[in-house]
Amino acid sequence: MAAITMERVSVWYGRVKALNDVSLEVEPGSVLALIGPSGCGKSTLLRVLNRLVERTPAARVAGRVLIDGHDILAPDVDLALLRRRVGMIFQRPVSFPFSIFDNVAYGPRLHGMKNPHQLRRVVEGSLKQAALWDEVRGKLRRPAHGLSGGQQQRLALARALAVNPEAILMDEPTSSLDPGSAARIEELVVHLKGQYTVLIVTHNLQQAARVSDFTGFLDRGQLIELGETSQIFTAPRDRRTEAYLTGQFE
Amino acid sequence: MKRGRRWYAVSAGITVVALAIVLWVLLLLAKDGLAGWHWSRLTRFPRELRSGGGIAPELVNTVSMVMLAECFSAPVGMAVAVWLTDYAPPAAWVGWLKRVLIGFQSIPAIVVGLIVYQTLVDGLGWPLSVGSGTIALAVLNLPAVAVLGATVLSEVPGRLREGSLALGATRIQTVWRLMLPAALPALIDQLGYSWARLAGETAALIFTAGINVGPRWGWFQPGETLAVHFWYVRTEGAMPDWRMVAAATGLVLVTITAGAVLGAKLWAARILAKRGVGVSERG
Repeated sequence: MAAITMERVSVWYGRVKALNDVSLEVEPGSVLALIGPSGCGKSTLLRVLNRLVERTPAARVAGRVLIDGHDILAPDVDLALLRRRVGMIFQRPVSFPFSIFDNVAYGPRLHGMKNPHQLRRVVEGSLKQAALWDEVRGKLRRPAHGLSGGQQQRLALARALAVNPEAILMDEPTSSLDPGSAARIEELVVHLKGQYTVLIVTHNLQQAARVSDFTGFLDRGQLIELGETSQIFTAPRDRRTEAYLTGQFE
Repeated sequence: MKRGRRWYAVSAGITVVALAIVLWVLLLLAKDGLAGWHWSRLTRFPRELRSGGGIAPELVNTVSMVMLAECFSAPVGMAVAVWLTDYAPPAAWVGWLKRVLIGFQSIPAIVVGLIVYQTLVDGLGWPLSVGSGTIALAVLNLPAVAVLGATVLSEVPGRLREGSLALGATRIQTVWRLMLPAALPALIDQLGYSWARLAGETAALIFTAGINVGPRWGWFQPGETLAVHFWYVRTEGAMPDWRMVAAATGLVLVTITAGAVLGAKLWAARILAKRGVGVSERG
């Protein structure tokens, strides 16, 4: 579990300002949902936290981001270590063109785990945590590409969990899935609460209401409002939040 | 006739004509080549003035030189390809570098042959040999590997790369453990074509490997290949059965190149089948 603090974070892509002076705090072990219209900077905010944002050409980040008190934007930060501590799953499930086992073992192997018994234990544990074990046990040598979209997303989660992260970033993890698969991912998020700090970007307001402890509303790169989820959904303080939640936006 | 049908007929007709031309050439080769075929031609040495010569040294030279040339050029070319796709800055000069590499491929092979001749044979005093020919083939192959390798690597979806980085992989780990394995089937497929192209090379080899064979294989032994032998026998062969020897050489060459291309394809398809790609690429 990691405590995350952002202090006046701004991001530019060339001359376009994607994130504008965002400050927020996330309590360890809680789930923060980020909502807002398309292009409001939600994904950018996530990608600052594992510094994937720097892969975008001409991206520039200003401000301070602290994870457990360490400034992760400092130039001497070990990116590999940071990304090991802050896992991420994406909108479209990413399966590597290997077996189910090798997908989950990818991370631990990167970080030097070679012992087959140890690897097996980690793979089994991670698949159980991602609620995929019962569907794939005995088929671990089969290609990951044979799984359904929802299974592949849970596989991606298992792969992220296998490196023992403290926080997990989820960028619209259910938007490419059918309702049943989406519901299973939601259950998992609720289940992971308390063990991991989770930031989830979603366009599905009900989902945000169901899974999160806190909700932040972003608009045009600004964090308009952040509060307990029940408060945001029942009594938003800002007019713009209310307008967005009631569908009177844009 | 409907418009779509007419174009279908035109394109199908052109395809048939093109295939017929290729088949005609193969038939000509088969007619002359199989006429006096004997398997001992594969194990005998060529004869300059008598009939019944074989192509054993040419066969060994072709296979060994192409293999060695691939061993030199494939790793170096792939290193360039990896640098181009995963390390090069998004700058204008990198774009130009790519264009130059593509341009290199249209330099006539004979020019490459002459440059290698000037450097190795004229400059360093190497004989016309297996060695000089191998280097010429490697030089010829290098830009092709770099360009094709870069194309294949850039076709690996970017989200795989991000997925790997997000797990804490470094860039070089991502290349070794994900990009290259993911691209492996396509790379093997390209290796087959690359092998075929090099095996059929003549112009770059006439000046470097020569048109003779030695009594045994060696780096500095004369390095005539099948393709060069075919050309030599067709144009200057003085043996009574020159027509047959040339055709048989051509047939063997066609067989091993087709074998390389098909073998590479099968190998790549097997890897893909194991990965379940194409079976159900869902989500």
